[in-house]
Amino acid sequence: MRREDFERLCRNWPFGRGHALAGAVLPLVRSHQAGRGGGKLPVIWIETCDSGDNNISFLNTAAPYVDQVFSGMIDLIYSNTFMAAQGADALALLQDALVRAGQGRRRYTLVVEGAIPLGGRGRYAVIAWTPSGPLTAYDAVRWLGKEAEYVVALGTCAAFGGPSAARPNPTESVGVGDVLDRTVINVSGCPVNPDWFVGTLAHLLLYGMPELDERGRPVLFYGSTVHRHCQRRSYFDQKVFAKRLGDRECMFSLGCAGPKTYADCPYRLWVDHVSWPVKANTPCIGCTNPDFPDGSTPFFAPLPEKAGQQGKAGQP
Amino acid sequence: MCPQRVLFSPITRLSGLLSAQVILDGGRVAEAYVSSPLFRGFESIMGDRAVTDAVYLTQRVCGICSLAHGATASYLLDELYDNEIPENAQYLRNIMYGADFLQNHIRHFYLFSLPDFVQMPDRPPFLRQNLLDARFDGATNERLAAHYGEAIRAAQKSHQILALFGGKAPHQHSFVHGGVSVAPTADKVAQAGALLQEIEAFIRTRLLPDTDLIARAYGDYFYIGRTPLRLLSFGLFRFGPKNERFLWKGGVLTEGGVTTEPQVRLIREEAAHSWFSPVDGALAPDPDKPGGYSFVKTVRYGGEPCEVGPLARMRINGFYDGGTSTMDRICARSLETALIAGLMREWLGRLVPGEPPIAQKKTPVKGQVTAVTDAMRGALLHSATVEAERVVRYDIITPTVWNFSPKDRSGRRGPVESALVGTEIPRPEWTFTMLGRIIRAYDPCLACGTHIIDLKKDASPSRLFEYPLQ
Repeated sequence: MRREDFERLCRNWPFGRGHALAGAVLPLVRSHQAGRGGGKLPVIWIETCDSGDNNISFLNTAAPYVDQVFSGMIDLIYSNTFMAAQGADALALLQDALVRAGQGRRRYTLVVEGAIPLGGRGRYAVIAWTPSGPLTAYDAVRWLGKEAEYVVALGTCAAFGGPSAARPNPTESVGVGDVLDRTVINVSGCPVNPDWFVGTLAHLLLYGMPELDERGRPVLFYGSTVHRHCQRRSYFDQKVFAKRLGDRECMFSLGCAGPKTYADCPYRLWVDHVSWPVKANTPCIGCTNPDFPDGSTPFFAPLPEKAGQQGKAGQP
Repeated sequence: MCPQRVLFSPITRLSGLLSAQVILDGGRVAEAYVSSPLFRGFESIMGDRAVTDAVYLTQRVCGICSLAHGATASYLLDELYDNEIPENAQYLRNIMYGADFLQNHIRHFYLFSLPDFVQMPDRPPFLRQNLLDARFDGATNERLAAHYGEAIRAAQKSHQILALFGGKAPHQHSFVHGGVSVAPTADKVAQAGALLQEIEAFIRTRLLPDTDLIARAYGDYFYIGRTPLRLLSFGLFRFGPKNERFLWKGGVLTEGGVTTEPQVRLIREEAAHSWFSPVDGALAPDPDKPGGYSFVKTVRYGGEPCEVGPLARMRINGFYDGGTSTMDRICARSLETALIAGLMREWLGRLVPGEPPIAQKKTPVKGQVTAVTDAMRGALLHSATVEAERVVRYDIITPTVWNFSPKDRSGRRGPVESALVGTEIPRPEWTFTMLGRIIRAYDPCLACGTHIIDLKKDASPSRLFEYPLQ
């Protein structure tokens, strides 16, 4: 399959029958692997300063389920959440992967889940204590980022600072792109939709780097605003607005950030495509945005009344 | 033989980041220092915001138990605004709460705990598993390892029930103050019922028998990780128009029996061995503090450390009558999963199709509110001081703070350290395996563990280390 066809598939699969990514993508991955000697994407996944919601959301991927991702798409070499190894054994795996990559034998994709705290000399997020001292999130990301083939910032904390960097930003947290001098693929969301992440991994495996928007996000998932595809757009166009949570009209009056939020939630939906916040009669809170959450709060105030939002509507 | 200091870092298969140091003396754990090396400062982030933001923003404290934070913030706002919760909303809220419990417990048992006992396939993410104390025959082991994939699907279905009513998961949207913004309609009730049926089958044919297998093969763990009997629960599943009734009662269980509901005024926090120091009359993070070894603070009830979690709830309510060991913690969690699935089935049956059951009042009737409930890992407290609907201060005490408390100023250990100390390690190469089992039975979540006491406001030095909540 050509790259253009794959991208069309990713954009359109929620419109088709069955909604399942697996039926479409896994056979492709298999034929691709057969052509490349069965290679999967080697992944090192570092958790830094966040709530762990992105690894939980990743576990909600349905077709492929996570065990299928592990067996068919990626070699998850290091992950604080999922690896069986612990203690020194875990660090040895990290070391081995780095040595191999340094010798040009097997370059890995670095996934960073969480923001990078610069405060306290990095000591607000320590990946591991080693006999020679703390390995901070900052040092680990700088160190592992050098040898990585791709760097994926998973979730809004990793991409842009997110809730970890919300005012007054007590940990002086920043996104991964602020500490690495290289292209970072920002797969934002609080949490990330598992399709955005698994779809990005599939793109890297099959076709390499996806097309990114000016914020470093894959265009195939973040290419248009929530507002543009919202089921309630006709209410907005006719200026019929909800009066309270639970109403079925346009949620703009109750704080919806859809007009400034680039994401495909209205048709992709969440957790095997059952719902999304507007379908639950509540506003979109703009969780994929670089200014989330401060640009979205107060969550229930209309967009023009949100803190620091004057004139920003319509911008990515 | 000289005492030997062993560094156990990183401790994996949990939420957040965790490390430990233990002192081994003659094959026995003589002392333990359990450290959370993660600081987020979420309560200062909550400061000076619209108080109604708390439901969505505090969910970002924790990814695996996000609903519990949103729920507690909703209870807090219900009291602040004096809401009346419609009956349908009470059932919907608890169905969603139950679904997040199933998700959490199934994921903990199979993804995090199972590789402590079962040999996983020799491929990523299971490389260097180093399970030297594997006890199952080949066929049994293979069957148990295969349940890993089935558990992923069962837990995903649990979150699907939550998303069906809550919009998405983690960080649901519909369980807010005043009720629930989604209507219980026949299609959703039927879909949730079908998903629940599959989860119940998984619990019956996999989770419970697998727990039983592990408990039998590793029966010595009923004698490992034991702690003094001091269990605390705030209660679980709030019902009534004012959230006034807990279905599962709260209490404090000691050798003397169960007391009535815990009194919030008896809860105190201190930071004797936590990485916080007074700066300009306020408490600030200080990772270089002498004697400090964790960003978790120490919390005490009536001066005593208390363990929280499924074991505490199950024993306080008389649903489980075992001890306080590592295997008791694992068994209580699995049994609780089965009980909660049964309750969800009952609640689904009581829903009456209708409009979204929500009525949010607009005027606060109080300036100071505290809300408590149990989360998956145990007792959770949110407390807020509010002026003109804006947050003046917001405090959160998570279950992790109870279980992972570092030592208090008199050197007394918290529950996890207490469970580690005294462990006999028959072979040195088993050290990480054994310590990992003991620690993981608490279902550690360190993203939740890291909060602060009032960084800026009205903190006099005398209050810093013994801060009364009310």
